[in-house]
Amino acid sequence: MIEDLLNTTPSLINMMTFLGIGVCFLFIILGFVTYAILAERKVMGFMQLRTGPSETGGRFGLLQTVADVLKLLMKEDIIPKQADRPLFILAPIIAFTPAFMVLAVLPFTENLRFADIGIGLLYYVAISGLSVIGIMIGGWASNNKYSLLGGLRSAAQMISYEIPLVLSVIGVIILSGSLNLITIVDAQKPIWFVLTQPFGFAIFFIASVAELNRVPFDLPEAESELVSGYHVEYSGFRYAFFMLAEYVYMFAMAAMTTILFLGGWHPLPFLGFIPGVIWFVLKFSIVVFVLMWIRFTFPRLRGDQLMEFSWKVLIPAALINIFITVILIEVFS
Amino acid sequence: MIGLLKGMKYTLKQTTKEKVTYAYPHEGVPLPDRFRGIQKFYPEKCIVCNQCVAICPTDCITLTGKKHPDPNKRGKVIETYSINFEICILCDLCTEVCPTEAIIMTNNFELAEYSRSKLFKDIDALNENDTNLRKENRV
Repeated sequence: MIEDLLNTTPSLINMMTFLGIGVCFLFIILGFVTYAILAERKVMGFMQLRTGPSETGGRFGLLQTVADVLKLLMKEDIIPKQADRPLFILAPIIAFTPAFMVLAVLPFTENLRFADIGIGLLYYVAISGLSVIGIMIGGWASNNKYSLLGGLRSAAQMISYEIPLVLSVIGVIILSGSLNLITIVDAQKPIWFVLTQPFGFAIFFIASVAELNRVPFDLPEAESELVSGYHVEYSGFRYAFFMLAEYVYMFAMAAMTTILFLGGWHPLPFLGFIPGVIWFVLKFSIVVFVLMWIRFTFPRLRGDQLMEFSWKVLIPAALINIFITVILIEVFS
Repeated sequence: MIGLLKGMKYTLKQTTKEKVTYAYPHEGVPLPDRFRGIQKFYPEKCIVCNQCVAICPTDCITLTGKKHPDPNKRGKVIETYSINFEICILCDLCTEVCPTEAIIMTNNFELAEYSRSKLFKDIDALNENDTNLRKENRV
């Protein structure tokens, strides 16, 4: 469907159709974010022997996030006096926009996708690196030395964990022979890459938790220790933007894990009658649940332990994984 | 590594266990019997000895009595009795000193109101407060 739309002659109707589809997708993502935040709080509650939000909107607290977002939108917009105004206002926008832009290349089923570009994986990694600039700008423009330190730490963490993220995916690229995400999913028809590249999967998963700034790698945010790191001076809807960026990245990263390693929309061997969308949603939900489960189990890594872990453990492991993959391909071809 | 997986298995099992929080206000909170809540007053048992007024640490009790209407009996009966719950600290001293157990505490504790005048409870309000009475007084 998107192919046909892309090949028609440009006109006003064409532009309005694309705009409509984009806005529709944005609302779906916002719906996901709303209920992912609620799900996180409920799962956190259940793992801590309490129920999560259960008052607003019925017995399961379904309107809790809506109430929270309304509260944030109605707060006073405080910009510190000596803060760098243009940068202060730009930082949440720069942090959020790459999160939404990368969703354009993700294929949800063979028919349900936006852009089929030949370098989908490269586009994803490159664009998601842009949001580091937003975080650094936020840290600098807040005119607060702790916020600056938090921003620098976050930038250091995010760039040093992007390297094992990409290196661990090289095994997948070698096995499937292309950077196109649809080709990668189709190459998993016989067997999913999580079984042929277990170390690659483990490294990718750990690096993705670090990319999302989640516990155990959330020293830049450190909600209970460093007073929120780089977004301490942001209140109201600018803070809501940072939180939105984090959860949309969680959506994108979980979708990427499903596409690269868990076989996308392909079913388990004997259950092929269930449509592909359901399989994608199921695998995606399991990945999101495991991300939340990790958050509620482990304590936070210290700053130097974090850096050590990336450079001294994950990068050598990813390189060894590439060598082993290539050697095994040569031996068994 | 094994420790990490054991930790994750533990947190997963925690989701199935019974919750430790109370679902107040949908369910009641289990309170012990000797919980000190709002007082209940029995006007027929009161002998107007004024001990509760004397011992109250915040002076929140005010009462007046009148002579017993029956000319053959001695003593007084209670006419008005009110407790100011803006300053009552629910300390239980008035029930300890009352010789006839005319004033006892209950297990009701919900005192939130929208106006201050409702917190000044008079004799009828204290008499009607007769749910969840405390069984052991004067300990």
